[in-house]
Amino acid sequence: MTDTSDSTAAFRRYLRASARLLAGSALVGGALGTAVYLALLVVGDGPRPASTTAFALGALVFGFGTLGWSGSVFLGESVESAQRFLDTESNWTEAGSRRAMARLAGAGAGAMVAVALLGSVVGAL
Amino acid sequence: MTSKRFILKRLLLLVPVLLGVATLVFAILHLSPGNPARVIAGARASEAFVQRIENDLGLNDPIWIQYGRFLGDVVTFDFGRSYTVRQGTPVSTVLQTFFPTTLELALLGQLFGILIGLPLGVLSAVKQDSLTDHFTRIGALAGISVPIFWSGPLLIMLFAVQLDLVPTSGRLGVAYDNPEITGLITVDTLLVGDIPAFVDAAQHLALPALVIGIYATALISRMMRSSMLEVIRQDYMRTARAKGQGAKITVMKHGFRNALIPVVTIIGIQFGSLLGGAVLTETVFNIRGIGTLLVEAIQSGDYPVVQGTVLLFALLFTLVNLGVDITYSYLDPRIDQ
Repeated sequence: MTDTSDSTAAFRRYLRASARLLAGSALVGGALGTAVYLALLVVGDGPRPASTTAFALGALVFGFGTLGWSGSVFLGESVESAQRFLDTESNWTEAGSRRAMARLAGAGAGAMVAVALLGSVVGAL
Repeated sequence: MTSKRFILKRLLLLVPVLLGVATLVFAILHLSPGNPARVIAGARASEAFVQRIENDLGLNDPIWIQYGRFLGDVVTFDFGRSYTVRQGTPVSTVLQTFFPTTLELALLGQLFGILIGLPLGVLSAVKQDSLTDHFTRIGALAGISVPIFWSGPLLIMLFAVQLDLVPTSGRLGVAYDNPEITGLITVDTLLVGDIPAFVDAAQHLALPALVIGIYATALISRMMRSSMLEVIRQDYMRTARAKGQGAKITVMKHGFRNALIPVVTIIGIQFGSLLGGAVLTETVFNIRGIGTLLVEAIQSGDYPVVQGTVLLFALLFTLVNLGVDITYSYLDPRIDQ
């Protein structure tokens, strides 16, 4: 009984920490996406190419982060043991990689949402 | 058997993998210069015609709408139609035509790597620091270091031009018919019982498989050596020897299976390299597979074919690694518990 409640509490803590990590990086990504979009709007050809480039850049970061995160979960432990067997050990860990990639994915998603919202508003004007 | 929960968890991971790959490819293609509508219409087409194609393909919609539509299509495995490489043909049909060639090549390369790499690795570990070990290690290092675009032409020069043992390029001699049942020529010729055609297909595939398998052999043998060396020093190996069991039996019966676990991991991981290597190998040996298709599609700006090919590679790589995970539980039953 205690074990179950302990593991549920631990899972909730994990979910809260993950949500905080993703939300924080999404906010940073949103701000960066907005800045890139506005900069491209000022120096570029117009709203359409600016939103295309800024959104694609956000998607690039999101795609890299998502792929990196799933790759870390999928192969992280295997890579750790392969490094050990091939005598190429480093400070790289599965958990560290997972966290870093989640941050990137969150930032990319934040940028994509920010550019889509801003682009829709600017397009409607 | 491996728990269903474990397999389900691994299968669920396919979702972020494919989402990541799809998004990455979408972003790269939209950041690269060039207009697909212009590619389809041709350099001399009028601006009005190009705009009509843009409207038809939805290229005038905002990029987030295009992204959403693209993800929706990916879920149903609908990658659209080829712009240029096989103009108008559905990408799934194009992939069905070209994919078996690459799969056959990668599987043969993998088989070559396993059949040569495993015994070499065991031999190298058992005869540690001997001349055999030094040669195997140097060979493994060379195999990992030498690029396919260099080893390929060299092996063609030696085996095809100088020794005339195998053909220089292609998949099947002109004298034989391709039965096209599974798309894997060696399998198809066997299925129809055409042995001379099978021998010819095997001869055509031998050199490309060797080239692509060199890297796999090198990595597998090096990994097997390290893993076997660690296993050989375990107490249970010493105990088996102390009980009077012969050295060879001890190594093969108690050592081999235990040493295989990290090697199986590497076999799964480097399957991706084999698929990537197929791109170069197919170009060197003039084989019409997914690799040459991908290069052609990138050069001509055929977005749907590029997206479909990369997603297929990602799906295959993930499924192979799922297979590797399931193999673990066979090699080490403790993993199931």
